[in-house]
Amino acid sequence: MTFRARMASFLPPLLPLLLSIAVAETVVRMAWVPSYLIPAPSEVFHSLVDDRIELALAAWETLSSALAGLVLSFAVGTLFSVALSSSDLARRAFYPYAVFFQTVPIISIAPLLVIWFGFGRPTVVASAAIVSVFPIIASTLLGLKSTEPALVDLFKLYSATGRQTLWMLKIPFALPQIFSGLRIASGLAVVGAIVGEFIGGGGLGSVVDSARTQQRIDRVFAAVLISSLLGIVLVGAVNLVSSLSLSSWHTSERKSS
Amino acid sequence: MNSIPQLGQSASGAAIFCENISRTFTGTGLVLDRISFQIQPGEFVALLGPSGSGKSSLLRLIAGLDRADSGRLAIEAAHGALSRGFVFQEPTLMPWRNVLRNTTLPLELVGWSRDNANVRAEEELRRVRLADFSARYPHELSGGMKMRTSVARALTTRPNLLLLDEPFAALDEPTRHGLQMQLREIWATLRMTVLFVTHSVTEAVFLAERIIVLSHRPARILLDESIALPPSRTEALRTSVDYITEIRRIGNAVPTVAEGL
Amino acid sequence: MSIVLFLLVALTLAFPAAAAQSAPVNLQFALNWKAEPEFGGFYAAKLAGYFEKRGLNVDITEGGAGTPVVQMVANSKVPFGIAAADEVVIAQARGADVVALFAVYQTNPQGIMVHPERGFKSIADVFNSPGTLAIQNGSPHTLFLQAKFGKAKVKLVPYAGGIATFLTDPSYSQQCFVTSEPLLAKKKSVAANSFLIADEGFKPYGTVVVARRQYVEKNPKQTRNFIDAVRDGWQEYLRAPQNANGLMVKLNPAIDADTMREAAEVQRPFIIAANAPAQDLGKMTLDRWTTLANQLYDIKLIKTKPAAERLFQNF
Repeated sequence: MTFRARMASFLPPLLPLLLSIAVAETVVRMAWVPSYLIPAPSEVFHSLVDDRIELALAAWETLSSALAGLVLSFAVGTLFSVALSSSDLARRAFYPYAVFFQTVPIISIAPLLVIWFGFGRPTVVASAAIVSVFPIIASTLLGLKSTEPALVDLFKLYSATGRQTLWMLKIPFALPQIFSGLRIASGLAVVGAIVGEFIGGGGLGSVVDSARTQQRIDRVFAAVLISSLLGIVLVGAVNLVSSLSLSSWHTSERKSS
Repeated sequence: MNSIPQLGQSASGAAIFCENISRTFTGTGLVLDRISFQIQPGEFVALLGPSGSGKSSLLRLIAGLDRADSGRLAIEAAHGALSRGFVFQEPTLMPWRNVLRNTTLPLELVGWSRDNANVRAEEELRRVRLADFSARYPHELSGGMKMRTSVARALTTRPNLLLLDEPFAALDEPTRHGLQMQLREIWATLRMTVLFVTHSVTEAVFLAERIIVLSHRPARILLDESIALPPSRTEALRTSVDYITEIRRIGNAVPTVAEGL
Repeated sequence: MSIVLFLLVALTLAFPAAAAQSAPVNLQFALNWKAEPEFGGFYAAKLAGYFEKRGLNVDITEGGAGTPVVQMVANSKVPFGIAAADEVVIAQARGADVVALFAVYQTNPQGIMVHPERGFKSIADVFNSPGTLAIQNGSPHTLFLQAKFGKAKVKLVPYAGGIATFLTDPSYSQQCFVTSEPLLAKKKSVAANSFLIADEGFKPYGTVVVARRQYVEKNPKQTRNFIDAVRDGWQEYLRAPQNANGLMVKLNPAIDADTMREAAEVQRPFIIAANAPAQDLGKMTLDRWTTLANQLYDIKLIKTKPAAERLFQNF
C-alpha cells in the first residue's frame, strides 16, 4: 500500500480521537467541568507513564486470567453445544439454563464466587468464564444446527456414524460461527476478569478499586484504557487463529480475488 | 456398503423393483401416488416431470434417504452388496477441503486408507478430466468443474446405482452439453444403473434409453417407454430429425410446456 | 382612626422584620454513611432542638458507599458534611479548600478484627502469619500498614464490607470499626478480638465535620451556631443516647436497637477521655494534623504537603 493509501486508512478513525482529546483537555483546564468528573487527558497520560510498571504487571495478570477463563468457557461451551446439538430433547431441556449465564449480573454473584473458589485467581478465572460462556454456546449451537442439508444427506448416504458426521462435517462447517462467538466472548472475558478482581483481588481490577478509593480518576481512566487494550489483544488473537483456519476457504477470510 | 469393488474390479448394475410406492408429507399432502416400475441392471433411465412433481422425493426414497409410507421398494445389486452414488442439484462440496479430499470423502467414511482413497479418487478425477485441479479449493472452481467433482466423488465407490437429481440445471448450455456427453461416456464404460431426474425433455431424450414421465402432484406414472435412438449419442444427434421426433413424442406426454428447441 | 392606622402600619412593618429574624436558615448536612452511633450526636442535636434554638433548620441526609461528600462540600452542593480526616488532607493537597471543624472521635476506631483462636497479639502478628486479611485497597490505613510491615505473609484481599466471610472462615481477618463489626460478630455467636490501627502510629481524627473555608469565612456566626449545636448534641448523646438511637433504628433498619445501644456504649472512650471537660468535645490540635499530613506524604498519597493550619479550625 502506498504511503498515501496507508494514511487514508489511518486518518479517519484517528481524527475523532484527537478531537475529543483536545476538547477534554481544554474543558478540564478551563475548569468548565470539575476534575473529579473527567480527568484531563494529559493527567491520564502521566498516570500511564508514571505507573507503567505497575499497570503492565496488573495488565498481564488480568490478561492471563481472562485468557484462562476464555479457554475454560470455550471448552465447556463447546462440549455443552455439541451435546445439545445431537439431541433435540436435550436442547429443549437445557438451553434455557444456558441463557441464565447471559443474564446473571456478575457483580452480584461475584461475592458468592469468592465463597466457593476463594480469593485470588480461581474466582477471577471463574468470573471471566461465566461472563463469556453464553456467546460461545449460542454461536456454536447455531453453527452446528446450520449444516447444509445436502451435505448431511451425503453423509447419511454413506451411512456415516454420528461421530464422523460431527467431526468431518458439522464442526468444520460451524467454524466461522464458532470464531464469531469467540470474538464476542473474548471481550467479555476481560470484563469478567476485572469484575472478579474487584472482589477477589489482583490485576487491573484492584488498580481500579484502589484508584477509586483514593479518588484518583486519572488512574481509573488509565486502567480502563489498558483493559480495553487487553480486549483488543484477545480479539486480535482470535482473529489470527480464525484467519489461519478459514483463510483457504471461507468468504469472510479470503481477500477478494 | 462395505464390499465396494476394489481397485481393478469393475462394477455391475443394480435392479430396482418399485411397487405401489406412496409418500405423503405433512403440510404438502400426497406426493407420490402408487408408483410402480422396474429397472434392469445397467439401464440408463430418465425420470421426467414438471417442477415439484415429486421426482426428487422418489429419488431420495431410492437413495435410502427417506422411507415410503406404503408399497414395496427393493433394490438389488447384480453381485455383491449394493452401492449407491448420488449427485445433488448443488455440487455440495465441502469448502474447507480441496478437490481431491472432497472426492475421497465416501471412501474415508467407509474406512479406506488415505493412500488407497487417493489412488481411487485420482482415477475418477481423471475420468471427469479434473486431474490437474486436485489441489484447488471449491471456491476456485467454476460451476461446471464443481459439478464434475461431485460426479467424481459419487463414482469413487464404483456404485452399481448412480442417482442424479437435476445436476446440470444450473449450468450454462455449452457446459451442460459437455457434461451430458461425459456422463454418457462414464456410463458406457462402467455400465452401472443410472437414474437421472430432470425437468428438461431434451436432456432426458439425449441421455436416456428409457424415460419415465411423472404427472403433477400427487405424482403418477404417465409414460414409461424406451427411447428410439441409437445407443451411441453424439453431438451431431442434437440436430437430427430422429432426436426432434422423440422430443416431440415425449414432450406431448409431459403435463406442462415442453422445453423449447 | 389615625392611631389604628398607625398601629396597623407599625405592625405590618414589624412583622416582616420579626419574621426575617425568626425565619430559620435551611442547611443540609451530608453524612457519609447510614445512621448509626457514629453520628448519634448529630441526631441528638436535632431531636433536642439544639439547631432550631440557634435559628438553624438542619436536614441530615444519610450517605452510602461512595457518596462523594468532600466533593459535594468543595463544590458548594452542601454546606456541611462528614468526611475522614485523610480526605481533608487529600482535598487540600489537590487545591480544594475544605476545612475540618469538629472531630467526633479523638481516637480513631479503625481497627483489624481477628479470630481469637489465631492467638494474635498485635497487628504485626496478623501481617506476619498465614491466612487472609481483608482491607480496603488504596486506603490510607492500608498503605500505612503496608509501608510499616513491608511484604506481608498474610494474603491481602479486597474488603467488600460486612462480616460474612469472617463468620465462616477461621483464617480470615478484616478491617473494622472496633465499635461496630466485632459487636455484630458477637451477636452471631462468633468471638472476635480487635486491634486499633491507631496503636500502630496512624492516628487521624475520626469522623470530622467539614465545610468550605469560603463558606466559613462568609458565615462565621452560622458556622459557630452549627458547631455549638453539634457539641451540645454530642454531650446529650453521651449522657442519654436512647432518643437518638430510637430515631436511628427507624432510619437504618440494618442495625437493631440492642446493637445501637451497645455500640453507643463501646464508642464512648473513643469520643472523649473520661474526665475531659465538655468544652473539649470535638476540638483538634495542630500537632495531630501535622503528623497526618506528613504520614500521608510519606506513603505517597499526596504529592505536596498542605499547611497543617489550613486543615482545621476549632470553634
